[in-house]
Amino acid sequence: MKTLFLGGLAARVAPRILAKMSETERLDTTVLAELTDMQRLIPALAEAEIVVGHIWRSDFPEAPRLKLLQAATAGIDMIDLPSLPRGITVCNVFGHEPAIAEYVLMTILALTHRLFETVTSFRGGSWAAHQPAGGSPHGEILGKTIGIVGYGRIGREVARRAVSFGCKVIAANRSPVADHGDASEIYLLGELDRMLPQCDVLLIAAGLGPETRGLIDPSRLSLMKPTALLINIGRAAIVDEEALFEALRDGRLGGAALDVWWQHWSPEHPDRRPSRFPFHELPNVLMTPHCSGFTEGTAERRWGDLAANLDRYVRGEPLGNVVMTT
Amino acid sequence: MKALFLGNVAADTAEGIRDELPAGLETVILGDPQELARSPHVAADADILVSNHWRPDYPPAPKVRLVQSVATGVDLFDLAALPPGAAVCNSFGHETAIAEYVIMTWLALHHRLFQISGEFRERSSWRTSWVESGAPHGEVRGSTLGIVGYGRVGREVARRAAPFGVRILAANRTPRDPDPGVERVFPLAQLDAMLPECDTVALCTALGPETTGLIDARRLALMKPTAFLINIARGQVIDEDAVFAVLRDGGIGGAALDVWWQYPTAAEPSRRGSRHPFHELPNVIVTPHNSGWTRGMVRRRWDEIAENIRRFVAGGPLINVVTTI
Repeated sequence: MKTLFLGGLAARVAPRILAKMSETERLDTTVLAELTDMQRLIPALAEAEIVVGHIWRSDFPEAPRLKLLQAATAGIDMIDLPSLPRGITVCNVFGHEPAIAEYVLMTILALTHRLFETVTSFRGGSWAAHQPAGGSPHGEILGKTIGIVGYGRIGREVARRAVSFGCKVIAANRSPVADHGDASEIYLLGELDRMLPQCDVLLIAAGLGPETRGLIDPSRLSLMKPTALLINIGRAAIVDEEALFEALRDGRLGGAALDVWWQHWSPEHPDRRPSRFPFHELPNVLMTPHCSGFTEGTAERRWGDLAANLDRYVRGEPLGNVVMTT
Repeated sequence: MKALFLGNVAADTAEGIRDELPAGLETVILGDPQELARSPHVAADADILVSNHWRPDYPPAPKVRLVQSVATGVDLFDLAALPPGAAVCNSFGHETAIAEYVIMTWLALHHRLFQISGEFRERSSWRTSWVESGAPHGEVRGSTLGIVGYGRVGREVARRAAPFGVRILAANRTPRDPDPGVERVFPLAQLDAMLPECDTVALCTALGPETTGLIDARRLALMKPTAFLINIARGQVIDEDAVFAVLRDGGIGGAALDVWWQYPTAAEPSRRGSRHPFHELPNVIVTPHNSGWTRGMVRRRWDEIAENIRRFVAGGPLINVVTTI
């Protein structure tokens, strides 16, 4: 079976995935990191039955034999679905939920406890935050309400951990949710405006789609408490970039932890800033370069799951993590 | 009946619980303990002492029957200089805040939060990003957390850590049954058997003869070279020279230190917490003994202190009794 590992990410992890597979002798594998290398891309796609990658562009050449597009990521927003041939099964991968849930609790705690401010000042020699020195107390998350937008795998993992801290968890989801898990109330996405004013922390854990693009706009930001924290590990485009920057700058939001961004580095601009606005100048923003889920544990779980799915395809067994069939 | 509130923290407490104190209780507030020398009668008349310390050179306080600490540790009270028969009580309310700190720093050390967010903020380095990819960071899932001192704080830590999918061990001076999610509580004497198992060691003990110098060079060497050490107990539980050396030389993975071997004084208000430059080590999270210092803790603690004073005045049984002098 002709299998193409396509794009930088898939090319890099191909050896690790293949090492975890048991049916490799029935695969005929090609690795192509560079998506714009048409000389190699045209023949590779002409023959491939399986493509592993996270990008599919509308200008890709014909892929007449393609049956399985196995995304190497959880999000499939970089796959141009309309330009895929009919009858293709699209699968994704997970394994990042525990790591991201850890990131979410870590950043909620760090912002609430003012960790960075305290450490920076103490490294500089100041005891100002010390109690007998008259330092003002910081916050704690006990009793706080965490609202989760997108109550999927990550949201549930966050909820399970957050309730042990004495937090109340509420959530809003696109489709109705039968099993509430550790959340005490579930709203439909259309009822989000009723949820927002209750939240001490708003966690964006949704995928990017027509219902979520631009969801957190200026009017919704204004429904939030001025002390509330916003944590985004979903996709940047779910939140209005300018409105979030201004709310944080002007103190209409308490703080934010942002792992996903509106713009990314490129080979020409390896140190490109992640936004048109200087989030890095705001003291109440904790920023990371889209790495919340990128742990050794995630890699182990994810590439193991992906290898198992390719094994299932080779054996003709039902696939896991099916997103859709085109 | 008279109550003396001595020191900054006690003075704030007096303000905070003003409306909760029994009618008829006379309160004297001395924010600056130095003033005691000029007003020795304040000590002489006090039935209740609310403070975080008592020094041997203070004027006598022969009538004191309740020594109410505004902190959990009573190690700063010179009990020999206070009258025999007085009950010494401490106060809590900080357990949840400190447990949050332990979990926060435990996560931050594994996820390399300071390094990753620091270089992204300062110079927009994407090298730790997911798709672009450098080395992945760590996670706590699947790791082993060892809690030394399985008391109020230790248990709150365990309760929060359990849903993260970790193995939890504990060591305690007195035998204790493990709570759900905790695999085993070792006697403190068997600490050496626990340390090599741990990816993180969180020190949550009180300071006493059994715990002073507990984490010495030999025990640090029993820890994994990647292990993290978190101290929210007291500085003196760890050997200062030994821990600085192993952190500097990579003998363990990193540390979060909230408690110190020395503290600022009036003469030296910006005195460092150690004679070693821990603040220069990139793998050490340093905070100025404020892990439990939250608004929620202040309210919970004030409520406990007010409750105990009411009980004392009414002749009822006291709460949080540490010892009787």
